[in-house]
Amino acid sequence: MPTFRRRDFLASAAGLALAGPALAQKKGGVLKVSANANPSSLDPATGGSGSDHSYLYPIFDTLIDFEPATLKALPGLAESWSNPDPTTLVLNIRAGVTFHDGTPLDAAAVKFNLDRARSDPRSNIKGDLATVDSVEASGPQQVTLKLKQPDSALLLILSDRAGMMSSPKAVQELGKDYDRKPVGAGPMKFVSWNDNEKVTYARHDRYWKPGQPLLDGLEMNVIPEINTALRAVVAGQNDFVYFLSPQQKPLVERAKNLTAVSGPTLYCVIVFLNFAKPPLDNLKVRQALNYATDRESFAKATMAGLSEVATTVLPKAHWAYDPALADFYRYDPDKAKALLAEAGHKDGLELHLIGYTDQRQQQRQEVLQEMWRKAGVKLRFSTFNIPEGSAAFFSKAEGNGLVSQWTGRPDPSLTFTLLYGKGSYFNAGRQEATPEIAKSLAESRASADIEARKKAFSVLQKQVLEQALSVPLLFQFELDAHNNRVKGFQPNLLGKPRFNGVWLDG
Amino acid sequence: MLTRDRLRLIRRRLVQVAPVIVLATFIVFGLQQLVPGDIAVTLAGDNATDARIAEIRALYGLDRPFLAQYGHWLWGVLHGDLGKSLLSGEVVLDSIFRRFPVSLLIVGCALALSLAIGIPLGILAATRPGSRVDAFVTSIASLGVALPNFWLAMLLVATFALNWTIFPATGAKPLSAGLGPALLHAALPSIALAAGAIAEVARQLRSSLVEVLSSQYVRTLHAKGLSPAAILWRHGLKNVSVNLLTVIGLVFNRLLGATVVIEAVFAIPGIGSMVVHAAIHKDFPVIQGVVLALVLIVIALNLLIDVLYTVFDPRIGQK
Repeated sequence: MPTFRRRDFLASAAGLALAGPALAQKKGGVLKVSANANPSSLDPATGGSGSDHSYLYPIFDTLIDFEPATLKALPGLAESWSNPDPTTLVLNIRAGVTFHDGTPLDAAAVKFNLDRARSDPRSNIKGDLATVDSVEASGPQQVTLKLKQPDSALLLILSDRAGMMSSPKAVQELGKDYDRKPVGAGPMKFVSWNDNEKVTYARHDRYWKPGQPLLDGLEMNVIPEINTALRAVVAGQNDFVYFLSPQQKPLVERAKNLTAVSGPTLYCVIVFLNFAKPPLDNLKVRQALNYATDRESFAKATMAGLSEVATTVLPKAHWAYDPALADFYRYDPDKAKALLAEAGHKDGLELHLIGYTDQRQQQRQEVLQEMWRKAGVKLRFSTFNIPEGSAAFFSKAEGNGLVSQWTGRPDPSLTFTLLYGKGSYFNAGRQEATPEIAKSLAESRASADIEARKKAFSVLQKQVLEQALSVPLLFQFELDAHNNRVKGFQPNLLGKPRFNGVWLDG
Repeated sequence: MLTRDRLRLIRRRLVQVAPVIVLATFIVFGLQQLVPGDIAVTLAGDNATDARIAEIRALYGLDRPFLAQYGHWLWGVLHGDLGKSLLSGEVVLDSIFRRFPVSLLIVGCALALSLAIGIPLGILAATRPGSRVDAFVTSIASLGVALPNFWLAMLLVATFALNWTIFPATGAKPLSAGLGPALLHAALPSIALAAGAIAEVARQLRSSLVEVLSSQYVRTLHAKGLSPAAILWRHGLKNVSVNLLTVIGLVFNRLLGATVVIEAVFAIPGIGSMVVHAAIHKDFPVIQGVVLALVLIVIALNLLIDVLYTVFDPRIGQK
């Protein structure tokens, strides 16, 4: 019944220390979760789906950890790090940590993992480590990464798939079968995986964090239909469900045994534009689209208020967010029309957009169609399932735009490089936006100092906005629900639930 | 029981199995080629380049010609190997052995329910044709056929799982977990699935029984002074049993197909959810495996029914 926002959560977390015995953590119990999709693989290097992370976090600790509310880098398996020069990153690996199979997690194991991620033919994360030139074990617990160019994004990349450490012994012995028999150094050991049914985990008794994990086990039950997934929690078969749609919020609030958890995420609903192809190669047309967008109404109509309006691709809570840019494109259909006229489209223009077939996406397309029609932009949609639609727009350069979402990356440099960098997959035209943007992209990765990076990102975001390279619409809120026995869950800005620290009460 | 005629029937059917399997799996495989979509795009992950997708295609052998891929699959089947899921690497035979019992339990319960309720209703209506009972049964049956089973399923869940927590709202338990829990989990899905089948059985039984009961020889039996009960049980039902067997066969096949929707509503890890997921992503080893298993089940059931025909009506099979 009570609804938790991140702010409330932080307040209650602060209160936790004072409350003492009343909220004493309890050991034991198996947390049962309604999960939305079968994992693509449980090997972090060979998987490819953004929904895998919730399955991977329990098994794999990452070299770098992140602060859930802001995504700032924190020590993980690497207890400290340093940049002796801009193209060198030294990681000091925590001593005494072992993988679930007893293999020690030392510098050799880390080197093995990073080299595998960079070179294995089945690795889907080669691109994440593209700036790494070499990896050396410079001590028994120290790894030195030599970079081709300065890259401060690397740190947070190591909090993602690339930083998830697998037991070298298991990888070598199992080969391809490692996809289904992962061995990491995280709080939970993998037990079993039945496709499209469930993945089960058991406590790793020799986990390095004292007192953790509190749970005896974890069960991720795959239920793709979100209404069924919620029903399983309402009826008590499962304890936790995530990725609910905003329309389900009233249902959660009506159920007395449930708590709703919501908070902003990096998950940005956005119209990608192919800015290399007419008519969107014209800056004025792109600006017109941004002025023609009534973001507030769009959010109200499609998300039932559970969202944050987006002008740029970083939400308010993010460390690199710049409040000065919040109102860059205020809704102004007349200005949009004027800009279109200046660009030679006095009588309006027709755009061909790609979209996806599911119900929520169709609704977004309809709202957009109606909104832009007022500014004289007529939309024609071709719809596909998600991988097909993305391939049509990004690899085959079909259509002028794609109504989709950007699921975010741990480091904002990655986000901007992938979206607007020359030759990047997510830049459908593959063209350089402007030389200034290319320069700012490089600068955002150059410094390790967070204040300097913040400034670089302000400049970069402003340039991207001026060029109107895409039409960000809103940030989707994470909406989860759990029964009142579940304690200690903390949502994160990535929007991919992590069950570390969760315990069951009663 | 196994007379020479029946053995000959079985032998003749077994000879037909192989071509049916090859034909069915080949057609399904061919259809998958016609449907747009490319599993390599899914396998390559979120931000794959064209080169990466091509690499994946080569890695999984998806770049080979159509016939070569089908031949490779069939060769594996002949050696008892159904392959692995392209998406997740799970051994297809393992998934089939785990999931089919789950679906068959629900389908079996639904079939039992539809016979247990449908047959008495049909008899009730047929023995009083034109009466109010008959009208009632007929209209209930029409309603049963018309009700979408997913809608009924959601009503059942809302009432019996969420409002009164008598039954679990989701999931399934195998028989190995005990008869009680298994049936408790299977109850709501079976009822939702059975609604249409009950109606089907009742209607079919009614019409064929009405026909039999109004035939010449039944009139003779009446004239002989046989009691109506004896006529119904000894002569009437025996004569409609062949029709009923046909209906059972059809109903079973339909129920097997309808589990696809019911399994989604109840989050049941059966074949329905398996084949839907595989079909959306074009995970062909899984689709082929399920089709193969379904074909085998349907052939086996039809064979059983054919043999039973000869039991109920000895004229069949004596050529």
